[in-house]
Amino acid sequence: MLNKPEHGPSPLKSKTLDSYSGFDSLPSFLRNTAEAQGEEEKQKKAMAAVEEDNGEFYLRYYVGHRGKFGHEFLEFEFRPDGKLRYANNSNYKNDTMIRKEVFLTPAVLKECRRIISESEIMKEDDNNWPEPDRVGRQELEIVMGNEHISFTTSKIGSLVDVHSSQDPEGLRIFYYLVQDLKCFVFSLISLHFKIKPI
Amino acid sequence: MRGRVMVDEDNDVVMTEQPRERGRERRKGRGLRLGGRGESRQQALLNDEEEEEEEEGGNDRNVLQLFTPLRSVEGWIVLVSGVHEEAQEDDILTLFGAHGHINNLHLNLDRRTGFLKGYALIEYENFVEAQAAISGINGTKLFFRTISVDWAFSTDPFKGRRSSSLAKPRHKAIS
Repeated sequence: MLNKPEHGPSPLKSKTLDSYSGFDSLPSFLRNTAEAQGEEEKQKKAMAAVEEDNGEFYLRYYVGHRGKFGHEFLEFEFRPDGKLRYANNSNYKNDTMIRKEVFLTPAVLKECRRIISESEIMKEDDNNWPEPDRVGRQELEIVMGNEHISFTTSKIGSLVDVHSSQDPEGLRIFYYLVQDLKCFVFSLISLHFKIKPI
Repeated sequence: MRGRVMVDEDNDVVMTEQPRERGRERRKGRGLRLGGRGESRQQALLNDEEEEEEEEGGNDRNVLQLFTPLRSVEGWIVLVSGVHEEAQEDDILTLFGAHGHINNLHLNLDRRTGFLKGYALIEYENFVEAQAAISGINGTKLFFRTISVDWAFSTDPFKGRRSSSLAKPRHKAIS
């Protein structure tokens, strides 16, 4: 008679040897716990990934000021249903508001999420960021999965403003993320709406 | 919708139903503390969406989101993601130029590092060329990284993706 291992045949274990092969030779009560723990970890990770991917997503960015030429601002919004709304307003030389709206595909929203999660802006807080002032204000509001951030700060002229603030690290992340988002949105809007000059 | 995660008999991950709550687990920022306009508007948007979701029944977990691609002003725009950060414009032009004439290409840089951000937006002259590029290149590799290619714009909104990720609740909420 062949010597069968205690907890069922293991493909890795020789039938004639009775050596410790890790998991299979644990007594059953310990094995259940370890297995359950492993499963739970896997489940958590899968859930997190699914929630990341399929959770809600909303992003709104605003930058503007009030001055001689009225309320001049730039604002764009990625809505959960895929709509991208873009608005640019100024009364400079009696100009009027520019509004553009277009529906994006899930692929584009997914790329936007990636840009945001790679920047790690969701880990930051605007407690120590400069308050909005006469020069202007910026607002960034993001909902991603179960996190919701709504940051408000003044305009950032350059890295000098970033370095001299009370939270240079966080503000730097914000500064570059805003630039990357603007690049993304301007590319989308101009490709969809702008006619190339001859 | 958020509930407890459970595993049922067939080893499916299911969510138990819980009364909907509008709040999120983590909320940060001056805008929320001072109750800026942003919060109420965004909540209204998500509320609208949640109400719409109620009407849909029996969504399978992995339902494909189908949409109709939308033509842009002078062509068809395709989004490429997963681009290696050291790729060059020529690489993209040669790879995608094989399927049709490229009217325009936006290959944006990461503003901090100076490398590519990782996506590209390509404008093809007509639908057939764009569709060929999508079918032919999606999922293939560029510099050992898998790239995804898909349309960028669609004609309609898509329903909340959340509804496609949750199985039917198996248990009644305990109120």
